[in-house]
Amino acid sequence: MKIGAMLGDILRSLFKKPATELYPFVKNPAPEDLRGALQYDPSKCTGCQLCIKDCPANAIELVTVDKVNKRFVMRYYPDRCVYCAQCVQNCRFKCLAMSDEQWELATTKREAFVVHYGKDEDVEFLLEKAANAGVEEPCIQE
Amino acid sequence: MEKQDSNGKFIVPIGPQHPALKEPGHFEFAVEGEIVTGAAVRLGYVHRGIEKGAEARNWTQNIYLLERVCGICSHIHATAYTLGVEKLANVVAPPRAQAIRTLVAELERIHSHLLWLGVAAHEGGFDTLFMFSWRDRETVMDLLEMITGNRVHYSTNILGGVKIDLDDEKITAIRKGLDFLEERTHHYLKVINTDETFLGRTRDVGTMSRQQAEELGAVGPTARASGVPRDLRVEAPYAGYHEFPVRLITATEGDLHARFVVRMNECLDCYRVIREILDRLPGGELATRVPRRIPEGETISRVEAPRGELVYFIKSTGGDKPDRIKVRTPSLCNWGTVTSVAVGHKLADMPMLLAGIDPCFSCNDRMVRVNRPDQSQTWSWENLRQYGIEYYR
Repeated sequence: MKIGAMLGDILRSLFKKPATELYPFVKNPAPEDLRGALQYDPSKCTGCQLCIKDCPANAIELVTVDKVNKRFVMRYYPDRCVYCAQCVQNCRFKCLAMSDEQWELATTKREAFVVHYGKDEDVEFLLEKAANAGVEEPCIQE
Repeated sequence: MEKQDSNGKFIVPIGPQHPALKEPGHFEFAVEGEIVTGAAVRLGYVHRGIEKGAEARNWTQNIYLLERVCGICSHIHATAYTLGVEKLANVVAPPRAQAIRTLVAELERIHSHLLWLGVAAHEGGFDTLFMFSWRDRETVMDLLEMITGNRVHYSTNILGGVKIDLDDEKITAIRKGLDFLEERTHHYLKVINTDETFLGRTRDVGTMSRQQAEELGAVGPTARASGVPRDLRVEAPYAGYHEFPVRLITATEGDLHARFVVRMNECLDCYRVIREILDRLPGGELATRVPRRIPEGETISRVEAPRGELVYFIKSTGGDKPDRIKVRTPSLCNWGTVTSVAVGHKLADMPMLLAGIDPCFSCNDRMVRVNRPDQSQTWSWENLRQYGIEYYR
C-alpha cells in the first residue's frame, strides 16, 4: 500500500520527448499495407465489375467508353469509400490497389471527392460529353 | 438538475447528454442524501438500424457493415458473422486464416482492455493512469495498423478466410511490441494493486456475488471477476482457440478492483497466446472459396468479445443476401448488474460502476420491433431511411 504509485512515471516523463506525434510538421511514413485511397490501372481491367458488386459503400462506378477495345473509366468517390479493400480482394487481374501514400484525403472542396481513373483521352472525352449535354452519361452498375 | 417525483424521492437524471458520459445513455438514480436507493437505465439513443440494413446488402458487404456495430471490438463482430456464414455454407477456413483471425482478435482484446483501463481510471479521477495507459495503447494500435492496414476497422475477415498475411518483419515487430506491453501491464497491475487512493475507490465498491452474477446473466470479465467460470474461448473454442488454448482468468472478490485485476491478467494471457500463435503459425492457404449464394438455413454463432459473449443469429433463404441477422452484444447483458449493484452506494461511485462493466452504448442499440395487432407492415431499408430523415427534420 502506498500513495502516488505512478509518481515515478510522471517524474521520468518530465525528461522525455512528448509521446504525441508532431503532425503535421513531422509526417511519419505510413505502414506499407495501409489502406489509403484506391488506385486503378485501366490497362489490365476487363470490365467484369466484380469490384462494384461487393463494394459496401457504392464508392466505385465503371463507365464503358468502348467495350470492344476495353476502354474503361473508373469513377471513384473517396468520401463514400470505407477503405475496406474488398474490391482489391475481388479483382482477379490485379488492377486495383490501396495507396499507402495518399491518406490525407480531407479537403474543403467537393470536386476532390470525385476521382476519374483511366486513359487521359477517355477521361477527357467523358468530362467533355458530360459538360456539353448537361446530363450525366449512362454508367453501368450491377 | 434534480427533480422530485410523486413518491417524494429525489431522482438525479444523468444523460443522454452529460459530461460524464462518453456515449449517450439515460440513467435515473433515486437518492437519499448521497446514497443511491434505486437506479434505472434507458437505452436506444444510438440506434442505427444496422440489422435492417444487413437485409439489404449481400453476404460480403455485410462483413463491413457489421464490423461497424462497434468501433472497439470491430474484428470480433466480423469474425462472429463470418464464422456463422461459413457454418451455413459448410466451409471451414484454412488453419492459417483461423490463426490470423485469433491473433487479430487477441490484439484487439489488448487494445480494448487498455482502453478500458484508461476510461475506468479516468472515471475514478486517476488521470495519470488514463494518460499512460492510452499512450501504451498506441503500441498495439500501431501493430494493428501495420498488419491490417487500418487503426480501427481492421477488415481482416473475408468469407472463407482472411485477406492479410504475416511475414517475418511483421512477426518481429509484433514480438517487440508485446515485450513492451507486457512490461507495462505488469506495472499497471502493480499500480492498481498498491495505490492506496485508487484502492479506496475500487475495493469493496460494486461488489457482486457469484450467485448475483449468474442470476443477472452477467458475461465476460464482469462475470469472471465475480468467480463465474464463463469464457467461450475455453468452453466452446472457435477459430484458432482449439489449437491455441487460453487460460480461464477469474477472481472471487466481485468488486471493481477484481474487474481491474481480471482484465489486466487477461491482457497478460493474450501476450502468451499471441506469442504461441507466432511460434507455431500454420502454413498454407489464406482463404477458401465460398459461394455467392449461401444455402438455406439458420445458425447461431457465438464468440468471446473483449466485453463478453457475443451472439449472432443468421438466417438464410438461399439467396445472395441474408434474410435476418440478429446481434446480441455483451454490454446489453451487463446492464442489469449495474442497476442492481448500484443500490446502497454513493452517487459519486456511479461513474466508476457504470464504467466497470465496460459499456458500449452503440453496441446495444439495434432494431426493436413493436408488434401492434392493428398496425402491421414491413418496411424496406429505403422506407426506414426516409422515415428517419422525416422524423428528425
